[in-house]
Amino acid sequence: MSMYVRFLGPLLLILAGCLPAATLDPGSRDRMPYAAAGLTEREAAAHLLSRFTFGPRPGDVDRVAAMGLEAWFEAQLRADAPEDTLDARLARLPALALPDTALLRIYPRPVTVRNRAIREGYITRADLEALPQAMLEDTLRAYMAAHGYRPFRELHGQLFAQKLLRARYAENQLSEVLTDFWFNHFNVAFQDGQARPYLLAYERSAIRPNVLGRFRTLLGATAKHPAMLLYLDNARSSAAADAMTTLDVNMSRREATGGPAVRRRIEAARQRMETRQMPSADAPARPGAQRGVNENYARELMELHTLGVDGGYTQADVEEVARAFTGWTVLPATPERDAIRDRLEARRSAGFVIEGDFLFRPNLHDAGTKHILGETFPEGGGLDEGERVLDLLAAHPATARHLARKLAVRFVSDDPPEALVDDLAAVYRDTGGDLRAVVRAIAYSPHFWEAPARQAKVKSPLELSVSALRALDADFDDPRGLLNWLRKMGQPLYAYQAPTGYPDRAEAWINTGTLLNRMNFAMRLASGRIRGVTVDLPALNRNREPASVEAALTTYARILLPGRDVTPIVAQLLPMASDPGFARRLDASARRAAPPDEDGSEASPEPVVPTPAGLARVVGVILGSPDFQRR
Amino acid sequence: MWTRRAFLKSSGLAVFAAGLGGCPTFLNRAALAARAPGPFGRRKVLVTIFQRGAMDGLMAVTPFRDPHLAAHRPRLALPTTGEGALLDLDGAFAFHPAFAPMLPLFREGRLAVVHGVGSPNPTRSHFDAQDYMETGMPGVKSASSGWLNRAVGLMGHDATPFRAVALTPALPRALFGDAPALAVANLRDFALSVPGSERLRAAAGQSLESLYAQTTGDLLGDTGREGFEAAHLLESVRTSDYRPANGAMYPASPLGNALRQIAQLIKADVGLEVAFAESSGWDTHVAQGTTEGAFARRAEDLAAALTAFWTDLEAHHDDVTVMTMTEFGRTVHENGSGGTDHGRASCLFILGNDVDGGRVHGRVPELDPDALEDGRDLPVTTDFRAVFAEVAGKHLGLTDDEALFPGWRGERLPLLRS
Repeated sequence: MSMYVRFLGPLLLILAGCLPAATLDPGSRDRMPYAAAGLTEREAAAHLLSRFTFGPRPGDVDRVAAMGLEAWFEAQLRADAPEDTLDARLARLPALALPDTALLRIYPRPVTVRNRAIREGYITRADLEALPQAMLEDTLRAYMAAHGYRPFRELHGQLFAQKLLRARYAENQLSEVLTDFWFNHFNVAFQDGQARPYLLAYERSAIRPNVLGRFRTLLGATAKHPAMLLYLDNARSSAAADAMTTLDVNMSRREATGGPAVRRRIEAARQRMETRQMPSADAPARPGAQRGVNENYARELMELHTLGVDGGYTQADVEEVARAFTGWTVLPATPERDAIRDRLEARRSAGFVIEGDFLFRPNLHDAGTKHILGETFPEGGGLDEGERVLDLLAAHPATARHLARKLAVRFVSDDPPEALVDDLAAVYRDTGGDLRAVVRAIAYSPHFWEAPARQAKVKSPLELSVSALRALDADFDDPRGLLNWLRKMGQPLYAYQAPTGYPDRAEAWINTGTLLNRMNFAMRLASGRIRGVTVDLPALNRNREPASVEAALTTYARILLPGRDVTPIVAQLLPMASDPGFARRLDASARRAAPPDEDGSEASPEPVVPTPAGLARVVGVILGSPDFQRR
Repeated sequence: MWTRRAFLKSSGLAVFAAGLGGCPTFLNRAALAARAPGPFGRRKVLVTIFQRGAMDGLMAVTPFRDPHLAAHRPRLALPTTGEGALLDLDGAFAFHPAFAPMLPLFREGRLAVVHGVGSPNPTRSHFDAQDYMETGMPGVKSASSGWLNRAVGLMGHDATPFRAVALTPALPRALFGDAPALAVANLRDFALSVPGSERLRAAAGQSLESLYAQTTGDLLGDTGREGFEAAHLLESVRTSDYRPANGAMYPASPLGNALRQIAQLIKADVGLEVAFAESSGWDTHVAQGTTEGAFARRAEDLAAALTAFWTDLEAHHDDVTVMTMTEFGRTVHENGSGGTDHGRASCLFILGNDVDGGRVHGRVPELDPDALEDGRDLPVTTDFRAVFAEVAGKHLGLTDDEALFPGWRGERLPLLRS
């Protein structure tokens, strides 16, 4: 197949060159303008793959060049390729099979397990101090087994594993690249213990399904997700104690229209409401978190998620938006969750709304008049107010620009041309915030293909490590080794503490310490010494032994840096590769007699082909080179 | 990124491939700017220790004469006399006995306590409170830089890879920002490490050095060259048989290891100005203990690490100031599990020759339930920024408090002699 492609690709090119231009180029929207930038089909395919995937696998560049860059890209935009390989691997992660609302039930927090075990009489509070640690843990384990609970940590292990597996194996690579981008845009940090158990559901249900849809949908999904509501404190934001709430409004309306029985029931309900606070999300009552508006989400919503810091909103807007989102909170993840849900479902007419784990509490929503970005929100609103704020923000021209720039930074260069940002913002506005259209516009823009954009981005540690795995066709079954290296290289997964997400600039990734660790990672990976990762270097070259050291260098440089000019790096590395430590004589008897010493240092002084250890070093140096750090 | 000056090869330091690349790196710049004795001259160093989990300030430095204390803490109050008794500092406050090794430093007037320190933001979330303390911008979640990074930037000295170093697995929020900052859990990791024989290691190392040396005029090339230089420089420091001076004995704990390596960096004169270390395990909800127990173990470790560090660095005492911090304090009242829950104010320690030591600064009101914040917590009487601005400002010579702590209009709390 690949042989066929290899010949067919250039052949098609030649044929295409003979056809009249009219049939070739029916319109600039239909062809990516890479030829005008002086790129061959292969060079262009390599550039496209370096930006919209986690890196090309062996043969990918030729495949894409042969099928046509546009055809490949459109398929990625449809994101409908079968995922058999990936699915088979994900099937080993049981949490992925559970619905979102079951995750916390099956994987409760340790403190929750402890409290439940105490409440149900498995242990006493005194046992926590008195029992030896091992015995306490055994008892709690038995308790968990009896209830079908799984250890909390396993949930995170699967979260990390699925991210790496998807990046490595997904056929619909663009979806995964965009999921990574939008998760970072709507960042929720793993360090936040409240939000942590919701991260898997957040990425799976709020982010991934929406990355090629309308921005408004994505924005709404994040706004209502427990992960975001807890991380940016909206779950504990409520109308000020003296404010009129939506519940007051709803009850007054019913009081006005209902008979005496209705009025009596409403009065009784009011009294109950005042004396009893509903349990908050799985946590002890928090002092300092009494009633009151919390502005965190409102501020970040405008500064980070939509308008951008210079997007023209004021502190007054922040305060008013915060009021509009009061009462947007989370259904408590306690064992009584279902009972609470049923009780609240029965009170829909009072204005309670439940969507999954999202809960709108009308008794906490500030029902007063609001003025937001020049618009008036009349008194008596409820859940609809937050939705309207999201509509306003998603449709705002400042949002179009902010998102356009961010996407351009991710896919083009750290300092993208203003003209490109303008173009993308226009596409966003013209399509009503269609993210697929904006992403498509990037690849069809001349700015994407021009020289300043090529190899202009420094890979993030995630991109570096996954692109290396993909380039080597390396397999992995245990993510822990990779996770450890990602941390060392400066990108602990899901763990950027600030809501800004990781900065998408070379300076943020590259310092002396992280760069040394990138090289160390490369050397260890090539030597097969990353835990859980299997590398087969000869198989990359179909187990054909290179004819010479120079041939080995060239062959592997071409495999690892497809579509790029490898002449300079080969020339620079030749002195190393001809070191006797790297090579041995290509001679059957010498091969049989090769000493067990892995680097073959006692081999013949007339080296010809690299030893296995020498080959690993060659590959390691290429993966650690400045060239491989770029995409 | 960095300003480049004319190439000057520094003597005595192996600058690999310098002839290939042609751009001077930080050692060369430093050699240009250097005054005796080392390449960086003597720089002031601020060493910070974050006590993660929230240290119980009332157990660390107890207002032992307070008439309400015994009622608040029937199981946690420590004896004032006899075995395991509190260590009276000034007739009003006393150290937990595990801090005994620090008592001489307090008596010498080098160690000060500031009590009642905390954040104006009332969050009891570890995550948020640590965040706010590290950004120095309470309540501003999107703060993009940490206060220690801003301090480094405000000093504006030539960039060396070792100006700001965290001896932690990941860069702490306090060091996020524009100034170059490093996180190294172990100095041994700061080297090119190639599996296999010595010969392969050397050959692969030289190849990579040469590849980066020939990548000129961009971030990767520049940083790569500086990284190799820094790694070579550290080879002398990185020895596993490091011998602390004056017989100092570091505890074999994460904090002990971190402070030992900070001492190594200071002695190696690699341009360190701000260092960051962590001490974890202060979240004593259960079985906090008194003379022994969870709190005492943490306190012993802190005291041992801190005193070893100070003993080891005797020759550098004029240049080094150490400050601890913790995200909040704990409830005044003990809980039902023999522990304490998340509270508000705590205390912190400052150690240095310029410190107005031998005193407990700040204000702790009487622990009358009516005087407590939300009826349960030690109230915050000193904004942590008033302490940080004073210590960093005086020790590192920073004057622009507004730039160090955007949005803060408070006054520094006088703690250091200028």
